Amino acid sequence: MGDAVRVGIIGSGPAGLAAACRAAELGIPHLLLEAEAHLAHTIFRYQKGKHVMAEPGVLPLRASIPFEAGKREAILEAWNARVAQLGVNVRYRANVTAIHGSKGNFTIVIADGSTVRAEYVVLAIGVQGNIRKLGCEGEDLEFVQYQLDDPDAYQNETIVVVGAGDAAIENAVALAARNKVTIVNRRDEFDRAKDGNNALILKAIEDGKLACVYNATVASVRPTPGAAKPGAVILNTAQGEAVIPVDRVIARLGATPPREFVERCGVMFPGKDPGAVPAVSPQYESNVPGLYIIGALAGFPLIKQAMNQGYEVVEFIEGRRPEPADAPLLKAKFARIPGFRSIDATLERIRARIPILSPLTPLQLREFLLDSEIRTPQPGEIIFRRNDYSNSFFSILDGSVEIAIDPVDDTRTLTLGSGQFFGEMSLISGRRRSATVRAGAGCVLIETPRRSMNKLIASVPSVKRVLDETFLLRAIQAHIAPGIDADALKDVVASATVRRFKAGETVFREGDAPGGLHLIRKGSVTVSRIIGGREVVLAYVPAGQYVGEMALLSDTPRTATVRAAVATETIELEGGAFKALLATRPELRARLEETYRQRVMANVNATAAAGSGSLVQFLMAQGLGEATDVLLIDESLCVRCDHCEKACADTHGGISRLDREAGPTVHNLHVPTSCRHCEHPHCMKDCPPDAIHRSPSGEVFISDACIGCGNCVRNCPYGVIQMGAPQPHRPSLWRWLLFGGEEPGAHTPVHDPSAPKKAVKCDMCKDLPGGPACVRACPTGAALRVSPERFIRIIQGSA
Amino acid sequence: MRTAAPSKRIDEPIHSGFLQYAGYRWAKLAILLCALSIAAYLWHDPVDGPNGGTWLGYTLGTLGAVLILWLTWLGVRKRRYHSRLGSVKGWTSAHVYLGLALVVIATLHCGFQFGWNIHTAAYALMMAVIASGLYGVVVYTRLPSAITRLRDGSQREAWIDEVFELNAQAIRIADLLGPEVHRKIVRSAENIRIGGGLRAQLYGPKTPKTAADADAGITEFLTERLDAVKARLTKGFDPNATAQNTVMFMAGQLVAAGKDEKEAQRLQQLLDVLSRRNALIARINRDIALHARLQVWLLIHVPLSFGLLAALVAHIVSVFFYW
Repeated sequence: MGDAVRVGIIGSGPAGLAAACRAAELGIPHLLLEAEAHLAHTIFRYQKGKHVMAEPGVLPLRASIPFEAGKREAILEAWNARVAQLGVNVRYRANVTAIHGSKGNFTIVIADGSTVRAEYVVLAIGVQGNIRKLGCEGEDLEFVQYQLDDPDAYQNETIVVVGAGDAAIENAVALAARNKVTIVNRRDEFDRAKDGNNALILKAIEDGKLACVYNATVASVRPTPGAAKPGAVILNTAQGEAVIPVDRVIARLGATPPREFVERCGVMFPGKDPGAVPAVSPQYESNVPGLYIIGALAGFPLIKQAMNQGYEVVEFIEGRRPEPADAPLLKAKFARIPGFRSIDATLERIRARIPILSPLTPLQLREFLLDSEIRTPQPGEIIFRRNDYSNSFFSILDGSVEIAIDPVDDTRTLTLGSGQFFGEMSLISGRRRSATVRAGAGCVLIETPRRSMNKLIASVPSVKRVLDETFLLRAIQAHIAPGIDADALKDVVASATVRRFKAGETVFREGDAPGGLHLIRKGSVTVSRIIGGREVVLAYVPAGQYVGEMALLSDTPRTATVRAAVATETIELEGGAFKALLATRPELRARLEETYRQRVMANVNATAAAGSGSLVQFLMAQGLGEATDVLLIDESLCVRCDHCEKACADTHGGISRLDREAGPTVHNLHVPTSCRHCEHPHCMKDCPPDAIHRSPSGEVFISDACIGCGNCVRNCPYGVIQMGAPQPHRPSLWRWLLFGGEEPGAHTPVHDPSAPKKAVKCDMCKDLPGGPACVRACPTGAALRVSPERFIRIIQGSA
Repeated sequence: MRTAAPSKRIDEPIHSGFLQYAGYRWAKLAILLCALSIAAYLWHDPVDGPNGGTWLGYTLGTLGAVLILWLTWLGVRKRRYHSRLGSVKGWTSAHVYLGLALVVIATLHCGFQFGWNIHTAAYALMMAVIASGLYGVVVYTRLPSAITRLRDGSQREAWIDEVFELNAQAIRIADLLGPEVHRKIVRSAENIRIGGGLRAQLYGPKTPKTAADADAGITEFLTERLDAVKARLTKGFDPNATAQNTVMFMAGQLVAAGKDEKEAQRLQQLLDVLSRRNALIARINRDIALHARLQVWLLIHVPLSFGLLAALVAHIVSVFFYW
C-alpha cells in the first residue's frame, strides 16, 4: 500500500506549488506529485534568461512562497529554496494516471503502479498537457529527449527525429544543417503540418539533406554500450525491422490535452468548446466533492492568480474562509454603485437582477466582475457611438439606456431597462458598433471586455444560447426588418439556423434551387458568377449584410455563387417563414426589392469591370476578407525607397512593424507583411494578460501589460507580430544630415539584453496625430491603408 | 445592397500618384505662377531693358531664391516622420511642379542676360538640377512597374537562395561526371558575381576575362561531351558480323549504352541546371540595375542642389555687396 496523506496535490506549477507550500507551512500531511524531474515544468521550459512577468499588477500576492517579476532562473531558484526550507514532500517523475474514491478517501494511481491515498485532492495540472512519450522500451533513456531548445547545440551527431508535426519538422530541418538526421513518420505524408513546413520537409528530403522513413513506428530504443554510437533505434517499417545506430533521439509527438484525464476523474466540463474549463465552486471545489481544481485548468492562467488560489485552497480544505485576495479590488469597483453595502450583497443583487449572469458560478461571477468595469454615466451621456470600433459587452444593472437605431433619424430610439444587455452585435461580428447608445436616468452599467465575454460564452452554454438568440432577433430587426416587433418575427427567428463555413467553402452555387437568405453574422463572403467559362468575383459582402435575397423574391434559381472568404458564420432564414412575413408586410417587401435592384445594378457594373475579379480573388486569398484595414502598395508608384519602413521604425522605438518587400504581388498590387487589424484578431485569442485590444477607431494594439510570452506571434496567420524591445532613443536628423552616422528610422537599436522583449505590431499610429506614418511618409502615394470594402470599390473603378 | 454599413466618409479618391496629387493642384499653381510672371515680364518695360536689378527682377529673384530653399527642404521634410505638415506625397508633388516653374521664373529674373560669371553659373547649376530632377520623374514613372514585371511575384532573396541551391546541385552532378567536370563547375561557381560597386550595379558586374572564357568554355565542353556520348549511343551495329559475334557485340553495347545513357542524362541535367542558374544570375543583376537606376539620379540631383545653394549665396552676396 502507498502513502496516506491529508492533501494530495497534483502538478507542481505555480498553483500546486503554492498549495503544497501552504500545507507544509501549516504542518498538514501532504504530497506534491510532479510528472517531470523538476518543479514547475512550464516555467522550467522557458528559454534561458526569459523575463517572467507578474501580471495583473494590481492583484496582491498571497502565498507562502515568494514571487515577483524577474528572470526565469531567479524565480525557479527562489521556489526550489523555499520548497527545501519548508520541507515540502515532493515526488518527482510521478505521472498520475487515475484518481478513484471520494472525499476523505481518494486513491491516486501513478504510472509506475504505486498509489497514494489522500483525503483531499488538489488538481493543478494546467492546460499544457503531458508530453507524449515514445511509449516503448527505452523511452526514458538518457539520449532520448522530448524537446529541443537550441538546434545549434548539436553537431556531427546521428539523430533520429520522431514525429510529423510542425515541431518535429522544424527540429529535423534545423538539426540537419550540422548533423545526420533521419525523420520517422508514422504515416506517408506530412500533411498535418503547416503548408510552409510541409514544403520545407519535402524539399529537404528531396535534396538529400535528411533521410525520411515513412510508415514506420519506433519499436524500441536500446543503449549500445561499447559500440560507436551510444544507442540504437529499432523501427517497425513496412519492409520489416530496421536498426539505426544513433547519438540522440528527439521525439516531438505533441501533448495529450488534460481534458480526457480530468473527465475520467469524474469532473464535468460545461461545453464541448476546447476553451471550456470545468466549473468550480467559490472554494475551487469541482463537482466531485473533495476534489479541488486551481490554476490554468480552472480558467486562471496567470501565475499570481494561480499562486493565490494554491494558498486559498488549503485554507478552504482546513475549513477556514479567508477573504479572497481580490476582495479589495472588487470593493473598489463596487464602491461606485449607489447604495453599496457589501461585496456579497452586491454579487447577489447582480445575480438576481441580470438574468444572463444568473447561471454563473460564484467564482465565475467574481472573475467576470473583476475583469469588468462598473460605469455610472450621467443621463444623456453617450456610451458608444455608431461606427465606433469597441467590442465590449454591457449589462444594465440599474436604470436604462436609449439606443438610436436609425442612422438618419436620431430621435428614433429603443429603450432597454435593468437586467437587459447590449453590445453583443460587435462582440459577435467583430465589426463597428451598429447604433449609438445613450445613458438614461440612474444608469449603472457593467462593461465587460470581449475576452472575458468569450471565455464566458465558451464555458456557460446558457450565456451562449441567450446571446445567440438575442443577436439573431436584433440582427434581423436591424438589417432586414426594421420596425417590426419581436412577436411578428417569431416564426422567422424560429426558422433561423446558424451555419458555419470554412474559408473557401461554398454557401450556395449559381444555378442552385432557391433557398434561404443568409445574414452574415461573422466573417465575409464573395459573390461570383461564371462569365466566359471563368468564375469572376463580383462583390465582397462583409458581416452585417445579407446575401441570397434574390431567390426569395423571384423564386428563380440562385443567380450567383457565394463563398466564404474567411471562416464565416451566417444566419440562414428559411424561405417559407420569410415569404409568409413578406406577404403581410409590403414595406418590407419593397425594401428587399430595392436592395435587389441595387445589387443587380452593382453586378452589371462589376461584370463590366470583370478584369478586377481576379484581383479581388487574390486579395481574398491573402486573408483580406477578415481585415478591417490593410496596407497596400501600388508597385507602379513604389520607388522602393523604404521610407514607409523607416517612418514606422522612427515612430515606434526603432522597430519597423512592416516589411515592405515581403508579401505577395498581383497586377502591380503588393500586400506587404503588415497588420490587417482583423475583425476577429487571431492574436487576441490566447493572450494571458489580455494585453491586446481594439481601440474605438479600430486599431488592434498591444498594451504595456504584454508579458512577452509570444502566443500572439504564433497565433497570427499573417506573421506580422514580432518580439522586440523598442528603444526610446531616436537619432537626430540634423546630425545625420550634417555628419552622417545613425540615420533616423534606419539604425539598428542597441539591444539591451536586460530589457524584456515584448510583442510589437502595427498600431496604425493611433497615438500619433495625423494617421499612419508609413502612408504619410510615402513620397509617391504608393502606400495606402484601406478597408477591404473601400478597396474593392476602388479596384472596380466605382470610387 | 448596402443595408448595414452606412458610408463613413465622403469618398475622395485616395489612390493617386504624386503627379496627380489633389487634382493636379500644384501643377495648376505652377502654371499660374508662370503665367503671372510672363504677363508681368511682357507688361513691364524698364528703361535699360529687363534684368535682375529692376523691381520685377528683384521680385522674381526673391521668389526664385525662396523656392530653391523650400525645394531643398524636401530632403528634411521627408525624413521628419513625426511631422504633420502636409503629406510627403503632397510635398513631392509641389516639389516637382514648382521646381519646373523655376525654369520660367529664373529665366525671366535674369532677363536673358547670360555671361561668364557667377550669376550665369548659378543659373546653369539650377538648370542642371532641374534636368536631373526631370530625369528622376521619368525614372519614377517607368521603372517601378518594370521591377514588378521582372520580379514576377518572386523576391531577390529567393533567387539568391536558388542560385546557391543550383550551385550545390551542379556540383553534386559534376561529382559523378569525373574530376575534370567537377573542377570546372567549382571554378565557375566561384566566378559568380552579383552586384558590386555603383558601376557594377548599373551595368552588371564585370567578370574577369579568363573567368568569362572559362565559363563560356564549360557549356561548350559539356555540349561536346554530350554530343560524343550521343553519337556513341546512336552508332548501329555491324551487319557483317556473325550471329555469335552480334550477340556478344549487342551485350557489350547494351552495358556500354546503359552507362552512356546515364552519362548523357547527367550531362543534360548539368547543362539545364547551369543555364537556369545563369539566367537567374542575369535576372538578379538586372533587378539590381533597375533598383540602382531608381536611386542613382539622386547622386547627381542632391549634390548639384548643394552646389546650387552655394552658387546662389555667392550670386546674392555679389549682387548686394559688389554691384
